[in-house]
Amino acid sequence: MTVSSRWQSWRGPALWCVLVLPPVRGALESSIMLHMLVQIPLLAVAGWWLSPLLPKHLTDTLPAWNRSGISGIVLVSVVALFWMLPRSMDAALEVPWVEVAKFASVPLLMGLPLAISWPSAGFVVRGVYLVEVVATAFRMGWLYLISPQRLCSNYLLGDQQGLGKAMLAIGAAICLLLAWKLMWGHIDADGVRRR
Amino acid sequence: MASLTMYPDDEHLTGSARFAFNLYMITAVLLVVVFMLVGLTMRMSQTGWVGVPPKFFYQLLSMHGAGMVGTMVLATTAVMWFFLRKYVRLHLWAFVTNYVMFMAGALCIIFAVFIGGYAALWTFLYPLPTHGMGMWSPHASALFMLGYLLIGVGELIFYLDAAAGIIKVHGNLGRALGLQWLFGGDINPDHPKTVVASTSMIIANSLGILAGAVVLVMSLINIFFPQVAIDALFAKTLIYWFGHMYINAAIYMGVIAIYELLSRYTGKPYPLSRVFLWGWAATTVLVIIVFPHHLLMDYAEPHWFLTLGQFASWGSGFPVVVVTVYGALTNLWRSNIRWTMPPRLMILALFGWVAGGFGAILDGTIRINLVMHNTQWVPGHFHFYLLLGVLAMALSLMYHEVGRRTNGPPNSGSDRVGFPVYVIGGLIFVFAFLAGGHASVPRRMAEHLQAWTFTDKLGSIGAMLVVLAMLYFAIRITAGLLRSSRSGGADVGAADAAG
Repeated sequence: MTVSSRWQSWRGPALWCVLVLPPVRGALESSIMLHMLVQIPLLAVAGWWLSPLLPKHLTDTLPAWNRSGISGIVLVSVVALFWMLPRSMDAALEVPWVEVAKFASVPLLMGLPLAISWPSAGFVVRGVYLVEVVATAFRMGWLYLISPQRLCSNYLLGDQQGLGKAMLAIGAAICLLLAWKLMWGHIDADGVRRR
Repeated sequence: MASLTMYPDDEHLTGSARFAFNLYMITAVLLVVVFMLVGLTMRMSQTGWVGVPPKFFYQLLSMHGAGMVGTMVLATTAVMWFFLRKYVRLHLWAFVTNYVMFMAGALCIIFAVFIGGYAALWTFLYPLPTHGMGMWSPHASALFMLGYLLIGVGELIFYLDAAAGIIKVHGNLGRALGLQWLFGGDINPDHPKTVVASTSMIIANSLGILAGAVVLVMSLINIFFPQVAIDALFAKTLIYWFGHMYINAAIYMGVIAIYELLSRYTGKPYPLSRVFLWGWAATTVLVIIVFPHHLLMDYAEPHWFLTLGQFASWGSGFPVVVVTVYGALTNLWRSNIRWTMPPRLMILALFGWVAGGFGAILDGTIRINLVMHNTQWVPGHFHFYLLLGVLAMALSLMYHEVGRRTNGPPNSGSDRVGFPVYVIGGLIFVFAFLAGGHASVPRRMAEHLQAWTFTDKLGSIGAMLVVLAMLYFAIRITAGLLRSSRSGGADVGAADAAG
């Protein structure tokens, strides 16, 4: 095993360990924007990077249950839906076992399934997922922006409205990026790995 | 370049593909007849010839609007699929998924309207769906919106599959639109017009569906959590982005039938040109930003936004209309065409599209809109280009396919009677609306004053003729599509395209 491949295998657990460090955790949970737009996505990235550590018998068995990556992407969507709820984020800050659940479920039930499913997902499955990501960013941004009261008891109203604006900006940015890529980019629509 | 062979082998439908195409087209013609009858009932109720309670009138109006818009898109999606599959690989499962999701969505809408009593019209403008005043529950509105979501997702899946097929062949959507030839270079004459038009609609209508996906879910959240009040004007803006784009896509998907079929009946090639590519490139942009013309009466909108709607209205359909009509007329000129049903319907479609479009351009002008927007001018112009334009485009392909399965292009005695009945009835019907608009008769009213009923009666007579003709077309097309293909008839040349 080369240094590069060893690093690729262990960068997921390493990132997870950094995120779980109390100062890092405290800093990333100090504002709703950092919590939702930095900590949770980084935990998902840590999960994505865990995929090289999966045992071979699992990687051989899973595709039968995950045709075109659809089952995995549905699982990711359901878990993401849960962690998008302000109540869940509040609970993670106040109830220790919910915090543990967040640190376990986001990498294992979001990042890792996405890493397994994305390469086998076809253009249509990826397209539907990405359109839904953009639509969700707009919806959540709109909701956070117009909500007349604090949705999380741990964060201020101004912080929440800032998150709303950031999510609208993220939705617009992804949309523009996808449009640019589809219009002028190089897309290998055949390059989807079939399992 | 589109083939001059009347029935080329690569269009021949077999097995599941034929079944799916028949399903789309037969469903479409039957739904059109049903929703036309709904429309006729409303028009007759305005004359006083039949008594329809106002509450039921608005239920019928909601069903007619949502049903006709959906059915037009269903039929023209089949037009796009039928021709695009010759140039790129389309998966039948995506085409069928769209149909299944459309039907599931349609059932939700039918239940919402006729069981739940939903009557907040096809535009579901916030906050009306949540204020049923005892006539319908918010849950009926939620079911109606769920129906729209299902229909939108189905169409998106079809578009994504089409986009994948196009990208595999052309590299990206920009090249498929022919943008690389706008400013120079030798245009590939074999670059299909169908790919250009399909790409344009994939881009524009996917953005509209995205807007719809946002506002529909936000409206659903508001139904279940009324304390989350959304901005009514912003919601209306997104609704019209979605709604306008969705019904406009029907026109631009339907016109593919003319690009593909007209040259076969004239026997003259209909080549791709730089002007054609410029027309579609301009329309792709303008059709996305034209929807503010629905909001011209909303003075709280920013002025630049309303001005954008006006100028985009003047320009949006224009490039494609000009290149299509000019191209079609030059193709027709001295062509010795035999006037069978498909070319008749195609030329009618061009007329309906252009004439209805001018009514739309007038209504898209701010000063005129202030006077005309809430009058029957609006249903006058959109019925003009939907009834005599888009529907005629879809019917031309259906008749063409009936011809493949019988003895060449259909032109029976009944067809020769049915066509003028449809045209004359259609013209009486739409001009009655336009005359009503001219006389300031308001639209969307269950009860009409006595002074307004002259144009209502005229419109009802026109509508009766249209329903009769369409009923005949529906039976003729259904029977024709269900016939098995005649053997050895795949290559009737243009010169043989006799009646």
